[in-house]
Amino acid sequence: MLEARLWVIGLGPLALAVIGLVPTAIANRRARSLARWAFAMSLVALGVAVTAAWVRCVLGPMRSGTLGLPEVGFGFYLDSLTAILFVLVAFVGAAVIRYSIHYLDGDPAHGQFTKWLCLTLASVLLLIISGHLFQFALAWIATSVGLNRLLLFYPERPAAVLAARKKFVASRIGDLCLFAATVLLYRRVGSLDYATIFANIQALKLESAPPGGVHAIAALLVVAALLKSAQFPLHGWLTEVMETPTPVSALLHAGIINAGGFLVLRFADVIVLSTPALDTLALVGGVTALFGSVVMLTQTSVKVSLAYSTIAQMGFMMLECGLGAFSAALLHIVAHSLYKAHAFLSSGSVIDLARASWSPSPSGPPHPARMAFVIAVVLAIAVAVGATFGASVTEKPGVFALGTIVLMGLAHLLANAIDKRPSVYIVGRTLGVMVLVATAYFVVQLGTERLLAGSLPPVESLRSPLDLAIVIAVVLSFGLVTVLQNLVPRYAHERRWQALYVHIANGFYANAFANRLALKFWPGPPPRPASRRYGMTGASEESS
Amino acid sequence: MNAALDASSPSARPSAALVSAIARACHKIAPLWPLKHFVAVNPFLGFSGESFAATCETLRRVAQVNALMPRAFYVKALVDGWIEDRDLEAALLTSPTGRAASENAQALRLAAHEPEIARTANRVVATVADVLDALAAGDRQLSRTAFMIDEISKWCAAYFDEGQAAWRLPTRTLRPYAAWRATARFDRTPETLGIRRFRQTICALPENPVTTIGEVVSALKIPDSALEDYLHRALFDIQGWAAYARYRVWDNALYGRSDDTLVELLAIRIAWGYALFCERTDPPFKKAWDVAMAKAAFLPQDHGRGEDPELRTDLLLHEAYEAAYQRRLLAQLSIASASPNPRIIPIRKPLQAAFCIDVRSEVYRRALEIACPAAETIGFAGFFGFPIEYTPIGRLSGGAQCPVLLKPAFVVCEEVAGASEKEETEILALRLMRRRAVKAWKAFKLSAVSSFTYVETLGLLFAAKILGDSWGLTRTVQDPNIDGLSHRVIGRVGPRLAPRIVGGRMTGFQSEQRIAMAEAVLRAMSMTQNFARLVLLAGHGSTTANNPHASALDCGACGGHTGEANARVAAQILNDPPARIGLKARGIVIPEDTWFLSALHDTTTDGIRLYDLEILPDSHQKDLVRLKAWLAKASSLSRLERSARLRLDSPRNVDRQVISRSRDWSQVRPEWGLAGNAAFIAAPRERTRRVDLKGRAFLHTYDWHKDTEFTVLELIMTAPMVVASWINLQYYGSTVNNRAFGSGNKTLHNVVGQLGVLEGNAGDLKVGLPWQAVHDGYRLMHQPLRLNVLIEAPEAEINRVIAKHLSVRELVDNAWVHLFVLVDEGRTIRRYLGGLRWGSAQ
Repeated sequence: MLEARLWVIGLGPLALAVIGLVPTAIANRRARSLARWAFAMSLVALGVAVTAAWVRCVLGPMRSGTLGLPEVGFGFYLDSLTAILFVLVAFVGAAVIRYSIHYLDGDPAHGQFTKWLCLTLASVLLLIISGHLFQFALAWIATSVGLNRLLLFYPERPAAVLAARKKFVASRIGDLCLFAATVLLYRRVGSLDYATIFANIQALKLESAPPGGVHAIAALLVVAALLKSAQFPLHGWLTEVMETPTPVSALLHAGIINAGGFLVLRFADVIVLSTPALDTLALVGGVTALFGSVVMLTQTSVKVSLAYSTIAQMGFMMLECGLGAFSAALLHIVAHSLYKAHAFLSSGSVIDLARASWSPSPSGPPHPARMAFVIAVVLAIAVAVGATFGASVTEKPGVFALGTIVLMGLAHLLANAIDKRPSVYIVGRTLGVMVLVATAYFVVQLGTERLLAGSLPPVESLRSPLDLAIVIAVVLSFGLVTVLQNLVPRYAHERRWQALYVHIANGFYANAFANRLALKFWPGPPPRPASRRYGMTGASEESS
Repeated sequence: MNAALDASSPSARPSAALVSAIARACHKIAPLWPLKHFVAVNPFLGFSGESFAATCETLRRVAQVNALMPRAFYVKALVDGWIEDRDLEAALLTSPTGRAASENAQALRLAAHEPEIARTANRVVATVADVLDALAAGDRQLSRTAFMIDEISKWCAAYFDEGQAAWRLPTRTLRPYAAWRATARFDRTPETLGIRRFRQTICALPENPVTTIGEVVSALKIPDSALEDYLHRALFDIQGWAAYARYRVWDNALYGRSDDTLVELLAIRIAWGYALFCERTDPPFKKAWDVAMAKAAFLPQDHGRGEDPELRTDLLLHEAYEAAYQRRLLAQLSIASASPNPRIIPIRKPLQAAFCIDVRSEVYRRALEIACPAAETIGFAGFFGFPIEYTPIGRLSGGAQCPVLLKPAFVVCEEVAGASEKEETEILALRLMRRRAVKAWKAFKLSAVSSFTYVETLGLLFAAKILGDSWGLTRTVQDPNIDGLSHRVIGRVGPRLAPRIVGGRMTGFQSEQRIAMAEAVLRAMSMTQNFARLVLLAGHGSTTANNPHASALDCGACGGHTGEANARVAAQILNDPPARIGLKARGIVIPEDTWFLSALHDTTTDGIRLYDLEILPDSHQKDLVRLKAWLAKASSLSRLERSARLRLDSPRNVDRQVISRSRDWSQVRPEWGLAGNAAFIAAPRERTRRVDLKGRAFLHTYDWHKDTEFTVLELIMTAPMVVASWINLQYYGSTVNNRAFGSGNKTLHNVVGQLGVLEGNAGDLKVGLPWQAVHDGYRLMHQPLRLNVLIEAPEAEINRVIAKHLSVRELVDNAWVHLFVLVDEGRTIRRYLGGLRWGSAQ
């Protein structure tokens, strides 16, 4: 539905952008009130987002039309995907901005921080609600620039500079891919307006084999998305951006890193036309998911551990896309964002947790044989249930694989509850929790699928033998890792396992290698000395 | 075996000189307590044997670390008029290095304003990493030092981790050096970054850490005279983890166990340096290294002490800066003492209230004295003389709730008041069950694979949690003290005093022990007669959310825990009728209608929570009502006073704003802790009663007339005074050089291994306090002053204590504190000059 009044949703990013336009000197001088104003503006953005979501529910999807040329224009597009992410990012943004009011209080550059926080958030919102690929690409780059400024909030920190440089390289390659994809799309469709693009793609779908150009477009989009969301082996920068205040990490991990996933979902219709592109997503995503979640196990600091968790979760989300389960991927984005925003903002509470988590009794780890048995049973159930309800491997391979992974997670929960001295209370309670969790999972999944029926392509059936191989590989490797992590503590004294630990704890040296390349090809001038932070103001308290 | 090693290490046996150099270098590191029970530590602890001035010099020379404020700070204090000419004169007069004839206040003023001469050749001995960094022409991106620190820190975090990683370092059961070698032989990170043959070099080193150090220093040709400095310098690179290792050593020593963790860590650091050395065979490096070693060999015997004129100026300015504070403090005290004391009305006081000596109590005590002018307030170490290990329900051991200088003498278990044995068993079982269920849940949440399931099913719920936490409606995680207990039970838990054997250990107190402890605590408080009807014993603790350094705000005298357990134990024993009979036999008569009431002073909100009210006799109910009214008024007054330092958003609703800080998960300055501390006064309260000390003084109630044997004086000078000086020097260090002695920017803190913080994603473990704990973003909230100790007691007796105890002598003679004595009921104040000599202070 073409609706001129949709232009109003531009007020969301605009409100935040206004804060970003305050001159830095004034911003730093009036940092406290600016931070308060920023929060007020983020509430405006959230209000706009919630209203937009409500309008979408009542009136259905709509678009504003394009202002400008087909190739250079602006416009907004509102469907379920837009509405959900708009609300999500505005919500996380408001929480982060509110948090920063007190957290950054007293920092000499607090005002500057607020400015860039707002500008970055505005760019992400603009990206989400855009209805024109030109605007999308512009917001994409603006987000990256804003983030770069936030990552270098303490420019005197060498590690911050190194991470920002690696991120810069990854981002620029991603930008190039997006640019190339845009050009190719324009040449095929003749316009960068979403409505035109989507209509043309629908037409292409009816053809028996997609034209070769589509593969290139899909591949470029996929590469851009993978680079944006810190997928293996270019994940390193994400683990090193703790060199900037905690709220930036929260916004990055809960709002900005999703841009890659959003790109895939937004152009899911294009990407599903290319099986190789989907397979790439599944492969890279799956490898990253396993890599990230295993490396996470070995990390000793709370924020780095959370960063590896994000890498893993983004990988899993890409895997879901690759398997064709797009609505599950969106759900994953939303759930992960909320979880991770809270995890970062509350990362100081880990000492409280540690104080409470004394080991109550020598209950020990779950027995590996029992673990393997539980998983085998779970797999059997999955196959049986899947076959009964039509989610067999061939019908809905994605659903099958993901469902199995969920059940493996639950099996892990159960196996941990049955320790050396199983107690009825714990096992009973855990079983209850398992049923609750499983129910919640399926209800939420079905709900999302319904909600997004029009915005995202439906779950695909098996396309090729390669797909089947991927699904089997996914199920087996996830199962293997589940068993493996329970085996590891038993073999601590064996050389091979010790070596494996060292390699995994270092993330298979991928990041060290990236660091070496970055240092070699981008050696920089030394960062300026840190006089700004530890500078003395007000010599003595009582002398004034 | 490596060629360089073979050539230069004829014998494997470490020499005595090497062993003692290692011991001395290790001794220079101050311990760092883990965040679960963080206590203030004097960062210069290892230098107690040297004077303050000599330490400043050593640190500048060896580690290039400034232990004084930057020159600009003192210049500003001169310009502002904080330092006056008489303060400069006073500094010159007391200067330990003597005074040149030409020196006077005017000359010092001029010297302060002159541009500083660049310091040359400060460093005596360079490390391999230093030389490499110098060759890299200052490009810190290429810094080998930074990389080495990151790598050692990463490994230490894995080795010492207390539960962050689910998959833990497999070799952590070995001693550190062996464990490190066992992992280093697989680790390709250094080689990936271009340090060739790293694994090979490490594998070729001997297995024994001391032998390794010996072989490396001879291979590097470190001159003997520079050996200790070299080792100290090397440890300083990883001072955070070294400090944690030193804590392990300290803790074990308390229980008579030896521990070489720190030596092993030093070996790791030295081996790393050696690997860097072996990697570089190019002539420029060889040449630079030879030059550095030649320089080190030609050091003068006294290490060039006193040759740095800039340091001398800085030291004099610092002394003047402190003299300016002393002048004001002493004036304040003598004005108060000079005016005639109002006659003490000889009626019985309605209330006596004992608080911790903590500087935050001073504010509250003054407020309480305003709310109830007839009340007497008392200052005493917040563990009330009961060094206990407090064991919560369900645990076999607990935290040591006493100053870290002591080891707990009693074990006290937590119990549920009025619970039958059956109910107790049930509560215990339920708590254990809940913990195990939580453990299984945590494994689900944080394992590979299952974490995906967790996020997909429960992630959405965090929307509500974000809302709740943002508005302070919920706490990010449950308070660890009440975790796993039912609401019905939480209000009923308390210490169990009845003796009982738990887990093979005697817990609680026998009747003889009760009498002895009761007598000791009352005498130490100078509280042996004139008891009021109600005696309040208030421990203290803080309430903050999402704050890794929360325990730093709790009671230091209780070993970084909240103090209610100690106060409750003390009150219950003092209320114990058999104990009172025993006390009577020892000459302390507590009237029958005197009741001891335990409480907790929440230093973040200034609220007071009273305990064990259900056993308060009916006769005292009216007293309780009055007490509650006074406390409410005092809390409000106290919040109002503190709010001036908190930079609140608006002057209205002070109570609400102060209290909301304690629940704000984004608050980096929930309260000011002990910032501002500057004085320690052991004297009767009358000396300070009408003085506004602005929450900057530790107040210990002490009446030497009642201290016949002067054992209490000895106790005060060896325990509370030392602890206060530790706290004071921690704040001093974190203020003058937060980079070296503090933990940096709190907004970057990243909790590592559940025991400490990193600043950012890597680097060394951080020690000390965050910058936000001493600076509010606009001005310093702590003046960097050494502690001014004022004691009212005969000089001869103070001298006796100084002569008897090395730890006290080092503190006062090496000028780590300034010592004064109050004479003639505070009308005269005299200064300790060192070497048991005294002189006029004014």
